[in-house]
Amino acid sequence: MKNIFLKTAGFIMAGLIMANLFVVISGIVISDEINNFEKKTDSLHKLNLTLEKEVANLGSLKFAQEQAKEFGFTNSTAPQYIDQLKYAYR
Amino acid sequence: MKIKLIFLIFIAFYLTILVRLFFLQVVSSPLNMSAYLKTNKLYPIRGRIFDQKNQSLVLNQNSYQLYIEPKKVEDKDRLLLTLSQSLEVEEASISAKLDMSKDWVAISKGLTQEQKDKIDKLNLKGIGFDYETKRFYPEASLSAHVLGFLGKDDQGEDVGHLGLEGFYDRDLKGLPGFVETERDILGRPILIGVQQRVEPEDGRDLILTIDKNVQEISKKRLLEGMDKYKAKKGCVITADPKTMAILSLVCLPDYDLEKYYLFDENFYRNLAISDLYEPGSVFKPLVVAAALEEKKIKPDDTYNETGQVAVGEYNIKTWNDKYEGKISMTRILEKSSNVGMVYIGEKLGNNKIYSYLEKFRFGQNTNIDLEGEASGYLKPQNGWYPIDYATVTFGQGIAVTPIQLIRAFASIINGGYLMKPYIVQKIVSENRTTEIKPKVEKRIFSQMTSDVIRKMLVSTVENAEAKWDRPKGFSIGGKTGTAQVAIKGHYDASKTIASFIGFAPADNPKFLTFVVLYEPQTSIWGSETAAPLFFEIAKDLIVYYNISPKQ
Repeated sequence: MKNIFLKTAGFIMAGLIMANLFVVISGIVISDEINNFEKKTDSLHKLNLTLEKEVANLGSLKFAQEQAKEFGFTNSTAPQYIDQLKYAYR
Repeated sequence: MKIKLIFLIFIAFYLTILVRLFFLQVVSSPLNMSAYLKTNKLYPIRGRIFDQKNQSLVLNQNSYQLYIEPKKVEDKDRLLLTLSQSLEVEEASISAKLDMSKDWVAISKGLTQEQKDKIDKLNLKGIGFDYETKRFYPEASLSAHVLGFLGKDDQGEDVGHLGLEGFYDRDLKGLPGFVETERDILGRPILIGVQQRVEPEDGRDLILTIDKNVQEISKKRLLEGMDKYKAKKGCVITADPKTMAILSLVCLPDYDLEKYYLFDENFYRNLAISDLYEPGSVFKPLVVAAALEEKKIKPDDTYNETGQVAVGEYNIKTWNDKYEGKISMTRILEKSSNVGMVYIGEKLGNNKIYSYLEKFRFGQNTNIDLEGEASGYLKPQNGWYPIDYATVTFGQGIAVTPIQLIRAFASIINGGYLMKPYIVQKIVSENRTTEIKPKVEKRIFSQMTSDVIRKMLVSTVENAEAKWDRPKGFSIGGKTGTAQVAIKGHYDASKTIASFIGFAPADNPKFLTFVVLYEPQTSIWGSETAAPLFFEIAKDLIVYYNISPKQ
């Protein structure tokens, strides 16, 4: 009787220790993942701001002026009038 | 016996753990709380600012503060040399900040991502970076006075100053959140511990009525004009006269938004909304419109312009002291006759003159959504002398801001509606977009009066004494102004504020532009400085808006 009780207690103890180890290790793994995701979110946020800045620079008048100069555009392009077509054909 | 001994050892071991836990969690709990319970303030992202076509004017960018922990520094000389090369600052200036007795010393703020990456690669011991965001202006200082800048308050918190940053600071700022987590010794979250997170509410984005292309045209032309006419300062405001949505607002000199702290405070002042001046002849159409509305005059009525007019002890004369005899009301505007305006003022009557000044809301804020507006002052009617009623008809003896004047002028050409000028048309948050509609403050004139005065102003441009290089085939209305500058109670004839206000196309105005030049040197007259500058701007805007010529 005593033997059965000791063996059962031993199994329960071993099970609890295993379960405990599993919970602790899982906790550490999940915590690491949370940490990694936090870092990734943070770097994505920073990358987002950097890309937004680059897009804005490409759409800026300053960039357009540089490009216009490079490609030899001038301000001599005449407007086309759709209300008064006679001006468009001049 | 052996089992009992092992049992006692275990008991003693667990008791030790229990005592230690009791000590950590109960006795010295408050001290150790911070060791594992980490609370961080989550800063919201400040709202961005876009022009009417959703082109960026203000964004946020990554920024870093470089700090040194002196006690962790291994080779001070190498550190100073390397940092001075990377940051392009003198070694001595870093050395002066580096107090080796301290734990933490801030060295440089506002480093870009590229600068940080470059320094990171050097693997220097004892340095670190704090992350922050700062404002980024893709169009540099194109709209400095409109945007305002982001500074710091007494507590070192970001706070918007002047312009939109000041006016909409609470909207742009957003609400901070916080995160509270229990962490283990390696900084990893403890899952069964406290995990609380309140997300920050990011600032709202602003969509403006400003068109950055119109802004660019205005600034470029104003710079050229100030250089050509050797003016001290200048402003150009362009608005949609029907709604008073501001399409461009430029005043020069302005300042560098990124390095605002290098400029004197005088550069921050937005002259267009804060500078009071006597408008001069650009004021005349307002009085003529009032007289038309009250049916005291008609455009073809005549006035016999024979010479100077005496008002009390003062003599009023035309700008060149020349007189044409019988002239129409339209001709009074065309030749900008001061004596003719005194006649119209007399026909209108003193009470009506004053009541129209009140209707135009001079002396009150226009409530434009920019920080730093000045209201001016309209003295009570019981303080007015006959000479005041006479001079106000040609824009002297009254002080207004450029924004007040352009608003009043818009009301005479848009069918008579006094509108509230505005710059922000949409406020965009995560869940909601608030649209700001044009607001009619008062109707002052009938459609008939508005149509008549528009025609008179077209005639004023076409038959003015000065001949301008106008865009051919387009009907443009407008009026010049030359106001003398009052210094210590007297007018200095050599110092003037030259202006021109004009609109096109005249029958259905697409834009209304007001040009002001302060103390031009090449000529004191608005007709020879501000007017040609206006027509240069008008030519560009006509092309930009693809306005077709009239038949």
